[in-house]
Amino acid sequence: MHSPRFVAAALTPAFLFLSCFYLYPILFNVGNSLTDTTLFQLKNGGEFVGLANFAELLSSPDFFRVLWNTVFWLTFVGVSTRVLLGLALALALNSRIIERMKVRTLFRILILVPWATPPIVAIVIWRWMLDARVGELNKLLLALGFIDQPIAFLGTAAWVWPALIVIITWNTLPLMALSFLASLQSLPEELVEAAAIDGASPLQVVRYIYLPHLKPTIIVMILMSTFWTFNNFVYVWLTTGAGPGYYTNVMATEVYIKAFIDGRLGYSSAVGVVMALLMGAFGILYMRIVTQRSRFGGVM
Amino acid sequence: MTYTIFSTMKKLSNNAMRRVSYKLSAFSLMVGVFSTAFALFSPLAAAETNITFRYHDSEGPQMRSALDAFEKANPDIKVTMQRMSWGEAQQQYLREAAVGSAPDVVEIVYVWARPFSTAGVLRPLDDLIAKSPPGIKGWNDFIAADLATGRDNKVYAVPYATDTLAVLYNKELFKAAGISKAPSSWAEMRETSRAIYKKTGKAGFGFAAGTCGTPSIWFYLNSYWWSKGWALIEDAGGGKYRVGITPGQIAEGLAYYKNFLDEGDNPKAMMSACLLGAPEIVEGMVKGDIAMVSVPDFTALRIISTFKERFPGKPLPFASAPHPADVAGSKMHFGGRMLGISPNAKNPEAAWKLIQFLTQPEPAFTRFLTNYTPSQRTAVAMRSYPEGMSGFGEQLKTARSWGPYALGPVAIPLMWNATGRAAGSVFIGEKTPAQAAGELHSLISSELAKNQK
Repeated sequence: MHSPRFVAAALTPAFLFLSCFYLYPILFNVGNSLTDTTLFQLKNGGEFVGLANFAELLSSPDFFRVLWNTVFWLTFVGVSTRVLLGLALALALNSRIIERMKVRTLFRILILVPWATPPIVAIVIWRWMLDARVGELNKLLLALGFIDQPIAFLGTAAWVWPALIVIITWNTLPLMALSFLASLQSLPEELVEAAAIDGASPLQVVRYIYLPHLKPTIIVMILMSTFWTFNNFVYVWLTTGAGPGYYTNVMATEVYIKAFIDGRLGYSSAVGVVMALLMGAFGILYMRIVTQRSRFGGVM
Repeated sequence: MTYTIFSTMKKLSNNAMRRVSYKLSAFSLMVGVFSTAFALFSPLAAAETNITFRYHDSEGPQMRSALDAFEKANPDIKVTMQRMSWGEAQQQYLREAAVGSAPDVVEIVYVWARPFSTAGVLRPLDDLIAKSPPGIKGWNDFIAADLATGRDNKVYAVPYATDTLAVLYNKELFKAAGISKAPSSWAEMRETSRAIYKKTGKAGFGFAAGTCGTPSIWFYLNSYWWSKGWALIEDAGGGKYRVGITPGQIAEGLAYYKNFLDEGDNPKAMMSACLLGAPEIVEGMVKGDIAMVSVPDFTALRIISTFKERFPGKPLPFASAPHPADVAGSKMHFGGRMLGISPNAKNPEAAWKLIQFLTQPEPAFTRFLTNYTPSQRTAVAMRSYPEGMSGFGEQLKTARSWGPYALGPVAIPLMWNATGRAAGSVFIGEKTPAQAAGELHSLISSELAKNQK
């Protein structure tokens, strides 16, 4: 056993680091959210307004639309799409057909390409592909006769969210697929062979062997992906600028718009605090699941 | 072996090393004496002043050439040009100025000078103006001088380039649709656009209808409202301001522009474009896919020069005209750029020299920034417009300052963004013009009430 003094000394650097780079910014932001600081008052600071920013935020009809966009479209639809497609891709890559065709390595390299592409590059590529004037997708649809007028995918209500989900999924799907694939490869081959001997259909193998084995990985990936997606700013802002109108405005872009376009830093900080609280709730859920799985000896 | 080397060195050290040491000391002393003398007396060693200049327009190479000419005329001053897009310019400068690390000279748009002065992020220039006035005929000749003046009546920036938007149109497409002149009323513009689309299949009035922080629909809506005598913010006298438009009037403007998209004479693809000089606009005009656009003069010049490069020898099909008029005439804003000095500038005199250089038509505007017009009445009156551009001169005569928008208590970026978002939600059918107009009116009214003391 080490002495308490030694433990304190050992923990001090980490504590100082966390205080400087995590605790202080959080407290600063909370403090800022209680003021009416604007971008134009940065030098002088704002005045204390109590919880007025929070009251305004929570009573604003726009806030619930932003919350809906963030929770439903960006996070729920985005994460679900990635999980389902990731699973399908991992199962396909793990299949015997791919192995027999001797293309497993090639396919694994190929699915890494989108992941290796920086988000900004992916967004620029997709913006061009979806462009109504010169986009390849419109050219293809026009050539095939599916449409007679080009579609502004990023400028129409019906298409803008699906287009955004496609871009995010393309860029981030490989991580999901590779994580599931890694988990699948730790599955003893004998289990699948025994099931086949017992006459299990391929669907039953997936349902009763693969999915239970993948469950811990799926849980972790869903939770981690939820964190990344909920807080994500880059994809929405660079693809649509939160438009058309405020149609794709999410919490992260709302923070930016309020702070740097409307210039209301205090209000923007309040949005940030609410975001952090929501993520905190997710964090508690995440830690609970992790703790429970560790207690029961689950694979994490 | 090692021992032998050491012992030999030790023997040498007493005599040879001492001599070497003396020589080195003497050499060092000489270097020191010469360096000091050089620093004190040589004209080449005169302290060189380095200043930083942040420039946001797309004419970076031209501006660099202008700065090179400035450096040649002022060999003791070196200018480092920093580049940044307009989209990030305001917030970046405010952040830097708050911690004293802003560039020495900054290019801003007309409407930023007042809020920047209130924020304390620009240096007052009155002492420098009094010492050596800028421009052709001094300070009073500058356009938008009111916007450069702070609430404390001090001058915080110097307007250096001015522009306005006018309608640039394709005469051949007009002719093909049986139309002989540019539209002079809003109804006529609507009808002209519709007729061109029906008869030629080309876009009539093409405008960027997308959403971003600085959407171009803001300019078109204001032009529409101002021509009818309405304004989001107007002077109420006695230093007070009021909302000068009703929700119904806001909705009328929104519905007017929505109709172009609904009927297809402004293609739905324009929902992807947002800025005034968007490639969709420039290319659409050059290729003859759009019959008329509303653009700043420098964008019109770019369209014309691109057309000439791409189709050498072909007659220029473009002409320009002021925007449609209504009871208050044809209205568009005086746009433009100003130059300011940050409070943390260590050499304001050198920074001022640069501002003086860049506000003189010769050589800054005659040799380098040829697409721009100096922001001085004398220079505007002297400006001759090339073929197809005379409409810009006419529009400048009836253009108005942002005035109460910039001087009043509601921040322009907030109104600009909110107006663009309102238009975006109307264009995609998410909200009716009346709904969006009601929300916009309510937002501006509440901001005005909150900030007006």
